[in-house]
Amino acid sequence: MKFRHLIAVLASVVALALLAIVVFLAVYSWPAIRMNGAGFLRRNTWNLGNLYSDPILRHGREVMPGASYGILFLIAGTLLSTLIAVILAIPVGVGAAIFLAEAVPAGMRSWISFFVEMLAAIPSVVFGLWGYVVVIPFLGHHLYPWMAHHLKFIPFFAGHSGSGYGLLTAGLVLCLMIVPLITATLRDALVTQLATQRDASLALGASRFETLWSVLLPGARRVLIGSSILATGRALGETMAVLMISGNALNYLPRNIYSPISTMASFIVSQLDSALQDPTGIAVRSLAEVALVLCVISVVVNGAARLLIYYHGRWSARMA
Amino acid sequence: MHWNHPSRFTRILTGLLALALALPVLFAADPVVNILETGSSLLYPLFNLWVPVYRRQHSNVRITTQSTGSGTGISQSIAGLAQIGASDAYLSNAMEKMHSNMLNIPLAISMQMVNYNLPGLNYRHLKLSGPVLAGIYTGSIRYWNDARIRSLNPGVKLPHHVIIPVHRTDGSGDTFIFTQYLSFSTPSWANQTSYGTSVSWPAVSGGLGAEGNPGMVTAIKDNPYAIAYIGTSFENAIRRDRMGIALLKNRAGNFLLPSARTADAAAAVMVPKTPRDERISLIFAPGRMSYPIINYEYAIVNRQQGSAQTAAALRQLFGWAISRSGGNAPSFMRRVHFVPLPAPVVKLSQAQIAEIQ
Amino acid sequence: MASLNPALSTLPLAAPRRRAWRRRIFDACGWGLCGLAFLCLGAATVWILATVVLHGLGALNWKMITQGTVGTGGGLMNAIEGTLILALGGIALALPPGLAAGIYLAEFDTGWLAPVIRFFSDVLVGVPSIVIGYFGYVTLVEDLGWGFSAAAGGIALAIIALPYITRGSEMAIRQVPREMRDAAYALGASDSRVVMSITVPLALPGVLTGVLLALAIAVGETAPLLYTAGWSNFLWNGHLIQEPVGYLTYAIWAFITEPFASAHALAYAAALLVTGFVLVISIFARLALDENTGWRRRMRG
Repeated sequence: MKFRHLIAVLASVVALALLAIVVFLAVYSWPAIRMNGAGFLRRNTWNLGNLYSDPILRHGREVMPGASYGILFLIAGTLLSTLIAVILAIPVGVGAAIFLAEAVPAGMRSWISFFVEMLAAIPSVVFGLWGYVVVIPFLGHHLYPWMAHHLKFIPFFAGHSGSGYGLLTAGLVLCLMIVPLITATLRDALVTQLATQRDASLALGASRFETLWSVLLPGARRVLIGSSILATGRALGETMAVLMISGNALNYLPRNIYSPISTMASFIVSQLDSALQDPTGIAVRSLAEVALVLCVISVVVNGAARLLIYYHGRWSARMA
Repeated sequence: MHWNHPSRFTRILTGLLALALALPVLFAADPVVNILETGSSLLYPLFNLWVPVYRRQHSNVRITTQSTGSGTGISQSIAGLAQIGASDAYLSNAMEKMHSNMLNIPLAISMQMVNYNLPGLNYRHLKLSGPVLAGIYTGSIRYWNDARIRSLNPGVKLPHHVIIPVHRTDGSGDTFIFTQYLSFSTPSWANQTSYGTSVSWPAVSGGLGAEGNPGMVTAIKDNPYAIAYIGTSFENAIRRDRMGIALLKNRAGNFLLPSARTADAAAAVMVPKTPRDERISLIFAPGRMSYPIINYEYAIVNRQQGSAQTAAALRQLFGWAISRSGGNAPSFMRRVHFVPLPAPVVKLSQAQIAEIQ
Repeated sequence: MASLNPALSTLPLAAPRRRAWRRRIFDACGWGLCGLAFLCLGAATVWILATVVLHGLGALNWKMITQGTVGTGGGLMNAIEGTLILALGGIALALPPGLAAGIYLAEFDTGWLAPVIRFFSDVLVGVPSIVIGYFGYVTLVEDLGWGFSAAAGGIALAIIALPYITRGSEMAIRQVPREMRDAAYALGASDSRVVMSITVPLALPGVLTGVLLALAIAVGETAPLLYTAGWSNFLWNGHLIQEPVGYLTYAIWAFITEPFASAHALAYAAALLVTGFVLVISIFARLALDENTGWRRRMRG
């Protein structure tokens, strides 16, 4: 075999790993997909049924009486917490990137950037620890009651301010976890933008900030979109931090931004052991269906971002 | 030559690898039996008291303890991932039929408390009943000053504040015995939700999920106006945090606190009914002084162990654990507020332990 | 001028003087908000690190790193060792295919296969780690009957590390000057000769930087290990399967919720160790990659 082919075979392991995961999840969860039907995404019940009675036959399959699987509350929790995180992360990420690219002297930029982008390196479970020990008591006992009282004119801000575990807390911590991704990519794009554009704009009498805002930032638009989508993908799949701070709501949709939630990723961690108790095995396969849904969503999101970035890469290569 | 640096990288990396590979060889000299105990967070504190003492006498047995919830204990013991599945719940008939090798061996009797965090009122023992708790956990009782709670507690100034019911998110024997209490005392709960290690909790807005008994303790401590069900092995933590302990209504209609006396009374009624496989609910026992939520703490064990060595180690460990001079000694039991196994049950357990091969 | 941004034409240039004032406010607000965003981020970083360091230093002592865990007390030696075994094992498993993929993407980027591998690798980065853990649990732990084990945990971490090593290797190999390769090929060297004797050795520091970053990721992972590696209070006995291993991130997650001070100490010490390890690796990798101090400069020089 030629060396080149040997390398190709070894390299294919990378692609095969992803394929194996998706195909395996699809095959493994197939019985659950058939039993749960399309209602899986629309129903709001995760019910293993009565585990201490005998299985009954339903559509030729043994299930526990009362068993019903629907993950609407998980989809809502996942999407809403990610939405909050991304809505907060984009302005903060853009602002910090501009500050780092333009306001910090070039000599210090690398290390100051490294300092804030270090957030991306901190493990998820450490974010969870911090959220659990420090953030939740502060938010739940001080900030949220204040917000619920003074900001109740904003939709979803009124109502019971809860305990600190919940949607907004998850969104805030997720935001910190993804901001560095946006900041790092955008800062690079701003710094490396064509000097001619910057000079031309400044020469025409625009201030430095106007140059940034109207010339450099639009030029980096595609980078911003691409990195935001990647950040979205990361937020969708975050597990440990969300597990420790989201309140692990079961079977209900959040009423306001303080409500406890669950996300798909954290639900898989917290429910696998329970699911294993179902003697018919349909619970574990339904959980695999959750993993499949999550996997497909993240493949689509990341795939879209990558295609956008590749396209941009080719585009900017042609420009240069 | 600037390529000296990479070789230093490589050397460090190889060094670390070699170290990682060498460590286990250095430390795994003598033949030892590894036992993984996982499951019930209620039994976890007791195992943590047992293990250091037991290890002093049997240094060749390495026992790892893990607090993961009874659900994990049951499923990992069945899957052969753990040798001991600690559980507050026995296996269901369906599971027992599928996995007939599994033994349910009681190691002690435990109780469950209902705890709450009512600022200013935690020193008072509120009276609560199965139907009222079912109302709280279904959301039909939303406020602490609901008429149904007030009528049980005349003279207590209950606040008009939303109740935060906390339930377990992990598969839990505590959930099993708590929902059994609700099911046996409240027909509507029995019909709609029933009991199990995981149940489909009715959606109560603001209700919280917590992981393990420790999570429950923290959840009510951190959340005023919360209510939770917690095993007595965490009674010391509850008292330290100054949380409330409820008087629960038993089958005879009396309101009782969990104590050795009320647990003994309930056990006295239920123990004679224990079948040979020892799978029985002790919940909601008849009798004037019977505390309504007591249960056997089980070790879920496969009677066919992979190796004779492991089987012998398990038999020895369990034999020690259930004896009054060993693990069931008052010095252990008192610290986790458990009740020692009555003599007839010790006999039944011994018979089951002998089956481990 | 053709390449100039069309947005230039929309600038409020040569504006009347009364607009100048408004422009200055726009400027000030803009810089102010950007500074605020930066401050938020910096404050959060400091807050998290301070929490970890202050609690961690209070909990860390000699006993922590020389004793195994006993129930909810004791030390973390078992977890430290387990983390090293799992992370290094995972990296060792991921290195051959990851490096091969990097070589293929950088050197043989001609056919249809390279873009496919690159795309899959980039998408694999985004697959939630718990999905990989679940996959590992059902296939390795249950179906193959490995039980909770170093092998199952290591393979889960290897899948997670793969795309990072691939990307790092590709970047590093692409940095190797074109002329080096051309010269070797011109002398009649074969593919394997050029790659193994010229490109990879030259790119080695960069490859190792990618490996270090993957190591940092592996050390910080929790979710994929919960259902593959299990947990053990004892040092590893060398069995690849049927023998659970402890790791630091488990100690953070499992012990912080226990209502005992000794358990909290374990969690805080583990958090400090994990965070410290990850940050040291990141700084190391950063130094290596830095334009002014790193190997890139040496290579150019």
